[in-house]
This record gives sequence, structure tokens and C-alpha cells, in this order.
Amino acid sequence: MAEFSPTFKEALSLVQKPGRYTGGEPGSIYKDKNKVDVRMAFCFPDTYEIGMSFLGEKILYDLLNRHENWWCERAFMPWTDMKEQMERLGIPLYCLESKDPLTAFDIVGFSLEYELCYTNVLAMLRLAGIPLRAADRDASWPLVIAGGPCVCNAEPVADFFDVMQLGEGEQMLQEICAVVERGKKQGWNKETLLLELAKIPGVYVPSFYDVAYLPDGRIESVTPNRPGVPARITKAIVKNMDDYEPPKNFVVPMVGTVQDRACVEVLRGCVRGCRFCQAGQIYRPFRERSPKLISDSARELCRTTGYDELSLMSLSTSDHSRLEEILDELNAWAEADHVSLALPSLRVDNFSQSLVEKTSKVRKSGLTFAAEAGTQRLRDVINKNVTWEQIERGCRIAFSEGYTSVKLYFMMGLPTETMEDIKGIADTAQKVVDLFYQIPDRPKGKSVQVTISVACFVPKPDTPFQFCAQDRRETLREKQKYLLSCVHSRKVKVNYHDSATSVLEGVFAKGDRRLGRVIETAFENGAFFDTWEEYFDYDRWMAAFEACGIDPDFYNYRAMATDEATPWDHLDVGVSHAHLVREYEKALRAETTQPCNRQCSGCGANKLLGGPCFDYSKDLF
Amino acid sequence: MTTVRIFFEKRGEAAYISLLDLQRVFHRLLKISGLPVWYTQGFNPHIYLSFSCPLSLGQESLCESCEVKTERETIDGAAWQAALQPLMPRGITITKVARAEEKVSAIAAAVYEVTMPLSSAPALEAYNAAPAAEVTKKTKRGQKALDLKAYLPRLDWQAEGEQLHFAVQLPCGSGEALNLNPALLMQYLQGLGGAPAWQCRVLRTHLYDQTGRDFA
Repeated sequence: MAEFSPTFKEALSLVQKPGRYTGGEPGSIYKDKNKVDVRMAFCFPDTYEIGMSFLGEKILYDLLNRHENWWCERAFMPWTDMKEQMERLGIPLYCLESKDPLTAFDIVGFSLEYELCYTNVLAMLRLAGIPLRAADRDASWPLVIAGGPCVCNAEPVADFFDVMQLGEGEQMLQEICAVVERGKKQGWNKETLLLELAKIPGVYVPSFYDVAYLPDGRIESVTPNRPGVPARITKAIVKNMDDYEPPKNFVVPMVGTVQDRACVEVLRGCVRGCRFCQAGQIYRPFRERSPKLISDSARELCRTTGYDELSLMSLSTSDHSRLEEILDELNAWAEADHVSLALPSLRVDNFSQSLVEKTSKVRKSGLTFAAEAGTQRLRDVINKNVTWEQIERGCRIAFSEGYTSVKLYFMMGLPTETMEDIKGIADTAQKVVDLFYQIPDRPKGKSVQVTISVACFVPKPDTPFQFCAQDRRETLREKQKYLLSCVHSRKVKVNYHDSATSVLEGVFAKGDRRLGRVIETAFENGAFFDTWEEYFDYDRWMAAFEACGIDPDFYNYRAMATDEATPWDHLDVGVSHAHLVREYEKALRAETTQPCNRQCSGCGANKLLGGPCFDYSKDLF
Repeated sequence: MTTVRIFFEKRGEAAYISLLDLQRVFHRLLKISGLPVWYTQGFNPHIYLSFSCPLSLGQESLCESCEVKTERETIDGAAWQAALQPLMPRGITITKVARAEEKVSAIAAAVYEVTMPLSSAPALEAYNAAPAAEVTKKTKRGQKALDLKAYLPRLDWQAEGEQLHFAVQLPCGSGEALNLNPALLMQYLQGLGGAPAWQCRVLRTHLYDQTGRDFA
């Protein structure tokens, strides 16, 4: 038990939900700091409630802390009221377990889950008193590292990190800790440490690469500036998902968080190849965990944490080839253990009666279908191989099972999109409403609610749409207005966001190293919590671009030639450039591509496995 | 059906766990423990769990309690305590588990030990000298004016190094019964020049029933 200092108690007494800053949660791991060799601060650049919902941190926290002589602790971005108090009272950013400041750690690692969290990374470094730029940190400072999906184009934040991890952290992060341990014991300088780290598969040391630009601002080349450093960094993966047991214990938050339940990852990667989706490309190849391992570790996890809700996590859970088997295994104990199941990522096209029955035993919540586009033509363009018949079938089953509200996800601003496609969004929603009233065994005496959520499409690197320009804000506003004019029923609710954050997301997604200055300038001018609408200030960002003499439109509103060098060319996620070009050209012809488990489209990611992803001689989906 | 009362200390980090969060934490930990607690029999069964006279955020206590039910006739308190303690978050120490002897409505008063910086002594003297100490208590049905002196005519404090401390007994009850939060006193003292709340420590040491015995 900790005795808090009066200064710390003062801060706690002046902020909302102080339980976010005190630690002490069941499942937290404590060690004697004088007896460990490596201390890592795992930092999540968003609030406690969001960071504690993140499965990746739980996986790595568990793996690192299994090493007796390493101690991994947690830090989060304090909410604005706490940040203010910490600044006023001179409390440096600390980790929840030991309450030691980040400067006491060997490694300060950030998880980069979305582009708009970049300013929070800087805010956390500043709160800890750590210089922002890698070049300003000698060996006396912690090694500042990053991981997460944003690293597939790490360039806009490359100047701030000593080391970035491309790909999956299970093996890579443990190797990094081992090298840091060796370096500490042998008294290496920073250069030697970085050179040794660069040998680890997936590790990217940004300072070891020089970027050359063409006169018009495009990338000419990215080349290593040290001998022996790889010209391209290849993503690290876990080849066999069964080699790593899912965590059997979590730090269980006491303050309510966004995802406050037991989670077990059932598969990694996605077979679908939706052309807008970055996750579907960068997490390739597709790998499954076996039902027995999933069920056993989930049961253990529920028992050690006391959670009564279990989520099966993946990009597309219903694509697990043995999903029914998993559900049978889980249902064998779930009810007796008072645990209910949730499957967040189902697809309409293989959403079945028995699936609904197996998952809706305990409670009925809403159902969500991702249709993504309003017309079949556009769905073919984006390779979202979902038909109206499938949506209809899925909704029919759901309504018969007693569901009365359906949420449909769409995007606008997709390549080749016309106003006809926008109208299609409203029409689809209306057809679902009409369907409800045609079903004889619909829930009696109840009305239906169809919510359509429309996001703004952002072209992302490593996708076939990376070559496309993003829709301008004015165009998106017009489309939103038109969509509203197409909705005539009060049973249809439309949700959409302002496109300002999407613009910035587009710029940073496809940005290069020159943007580091813009991020720093915006941060120094007060930008942080950009993911939170109430703190996002578009004009402040535009001022930062202007101050740095950088035109944001160059990055997101410009279509790229398919042979143009990209800022992320040296970061190889497995999917080949040729595949992206091929898929892009098919998209323009509205031709679809089969999912990987039916037919290999030759994306190249199987080289990471060293063999084919599926046994195509067997009966596949 | 037997009602079981779990007594515990809530200090340090745990002082910042709100009632709502504490309920969730206990719910989970009881589930992990595998103890034979009774689940409600509704459509969505959950563990029956009720906390008595919860503390304000930031205050500490030696005598918190909550009750659960079990279908067993008798329970082994020591075994329950041994099963629960290793699961608890930092700052929560289970002190006793036993069959509930009284209903929560029997609680009548609570004793708090207050520690303040010695510099607050003049504020305490001012309180003792004042004819009345009117505070406003917020209730669900609006605001209510109260004279603290009616409950605490004097504060008998003792100095110890740089600190001073005193004990106060305040009415404490559930439901309609009057409940006085020591935060009201601390606020009032701050108005007289006393130290702000974060420099003080409020520790609940006893809960008494109407007869003046420890609530059991």
C-alpha cells in the first residue's frame, strides 16, 4: 500500500475520477526495482479508460513480466485536469505500479494505434521531462520506442523515436529488452545499442536512414546510412498462434473502461482483402488459434479476473474455420461459470442461425453490420463482398430472434463514388426498415431502429487505395447533406462526423518525415488529445503547417502514380507493391477478388510464413 | 439463507475507489473466490452484494463492510477471509468475515480520526469559540442547513510533531437517517483558515449501532 504525498493527494483531490491515477488494480504486477535488470514503461497515448481496453498491452505486459528480471509497468495520458495539476505541482509522468517517473525506466514504449495520438506522445514525453527528439537524447535518457499499426508508415513521427517496431511485438519486444539488458551490463553507448537493436527482425531505427526528396517534394529514396543496416525492414510476425498462449490474467481496472471484459484473440490477419482496409493488409497472413487453446485460456482468464463477459477478438471472428467448434467448447462451461459471450466482429455473409443462438443465450444487445457502401457497384470496387441478399438474410434472422435495432456502417468519400452511391446508403437503410415489417414473427408491438453510421474514408498506406486522393472537406459536406435529404423515415437515424479530423488523419497516414516539425509545432501551440473532438482545433493545425511551410494537401489530396516512391517503401509489411497495384486496377474496373481462404491472390504475405497460408487441396470455404 | 458480513479496511490507493467501482471489484473478486455466494434469481443473475455507509472518495477507513448471502447454514469466517484477501486490490485488507448480526439500519454513528497540519490549530480554536457552525448539506431533496455544533460542541485536539489530530463522532445512517460527512467539517474548518482537504487525513475508525456498540 502506498502512502501518497500531500502534493499527489492535492492533485487527486482536484480531478475527476482519481482512481485512474492511483494504480493498485487486481492483477497489477509488482517487483523489487532494485532486483530487476530492465524496467519498461508501457505508455498508451490516450486516457486510462481507452488504454486499459487495449488487448495488445495486456499481451505484452504478461509476456515481459514473465521474465523475473524485467519489470513492465503502465502509464497513460492523464486527462486534461490531471495534466494541468501535474504541471502546476511539478509531478512528472509516472507509472502506476511503482509511481516512479518515466525517467527512471530503461525503455519508454508507446503504442501507436491511430495517427491523431501523435501529439499525446509528445505531451507524455514532455510531462516526463524527456526531450522530444531522439537526436537530443543521449544514453542517459530512456530508450524511447514505438509499436503498433501506425509504424507501417512511421515517418511523420520518426524523429521522436529511437526505435520503432514493425509488426507483432511478442517476440520482437522481448528481444529488444534482452539487447537492452546486455547493453546495460556491458555499458554500451547509444550508437552500439541501436546497431545491435537494428539486427532484430522488424526493428526500425529511423536515424539510420536518410531520406532524399525530388524537387517537387516527392520521395526520391530512403537509404540506410550505416553499413550492415537492412535497406528494407521486414515486418515481424508470430508464425504459429498456438506458440503463444493468450494471457491468463489481466490487470482488471476498477474505474469503468471502454472494453471492460475478458478478451481472447482467436485469429490474426484477415482473409477478406477489402481494399480500403489497412488492418486487412498489414496484419496478413491469416493465422488461427486452435479452439481448445482459446477455450482453455479464456476459461482460466475469466476465473482469474472474475469477468463475466468474454469477447472473442479478431478482425473477422466468423472467418475462423472452426468457429462453431470454439463456441461449443466455450458454451460447455460459460453458463455454469456465469460468463456470457460476445462476438464483436461478425460478417453478414456468414452470419447464421446457430451462431445467433450460440451467442445470444444471455443478453440481447444491438447488432451491427458493416455494409461499407450503399450500392453493389461500389461494394465491388472496395471488394466488400457483401450483397443485399446477405444483408437481408442477416437482418431477417436477427429480427426473428428478437432484435429490434440494427446498426449499419458505411463510408463516404470512397474512390469512384457518385451521388448515386450516397443515395444507396439511405435506400439500404430504408429497405431494412421495410423488411422488419414484412417479417411475420418480428418482435410484436415494437418498432425498429436502423442507425446508419457514416465515416469519412481515409486512404491508408499499404492498401490498394493508397494511390487515391482523399475527398475534400467541401465534397464530404455536400455528400453528408445529400444523404440527409435522402432519408425520409424517422426509424432511420444518421450518424456522421465532421471531416476535419479525417483530413489530418489522411495527411499523417501518408506523410513523410517533414511532418515531424508540424506535429511538434502544433504540440508547442497547445495541441494534444486531438482524438477528442472538444480539444481538436483544425485551425491550430493549419497554422502549424503554414509556420513550417508545408502544404498538407500535397499528402492527402494528391493522387499518387503507381510507380511513385512512397515514404514507407522501406517498411515491408509483407504485401507486395505489385499486389497493391493489381488490386487498385481491379478496383477501378469494379472487379472483386476472392478471400484468401478460397483462392490465393498472391499478395506476397505468405513469405513471412515461409509457405502457403492455406492448404488449398482441402475443402475450403 | 445466511447473511454474511465482510469487514475490511480501505486505505492508500483504495481510498480512491468509488462506491460504484468498489461494487464492481467485489463482484468480480467474489466470483473468482468461488465462495458459495448467492446469486439473484432474475433474468440476468448477479451476486447479491450491498455496502453499508460507503465513504467519500479520498477518505480512509478501518471498518468498512458489505454483505452477501449464502444458502449455507454456517460459514467459516476465517476460510472466507483467507480466500478473499489474496484477490484484493492494494489498500483493501479483509479484517473479519462473519454471519451478520444486525441489519444495516442499526448503524447510528461513525467515528473519524482527523489528522491536520499543526498550522490549522487556530481554525480549531475558532470553531470551539464560535456559538454556532452552520453548514449546508446537499441532499437528494435539495439543501439543508445544519449547525455542526449541535453534533460536535468541541474539537479536542492533540498536537504531535508537525501534525494535530482529533476524533469526532458523527451521525451515520442509511436511507432516511441523518448522515453527516466529515467533509462538511473539513470544509467549514478550511473556511476558518484550516488546511485544505488534501493536507488532511480522514480515517473512519468505528461504526456504532444505536446502543453504542460496534456494528456487527
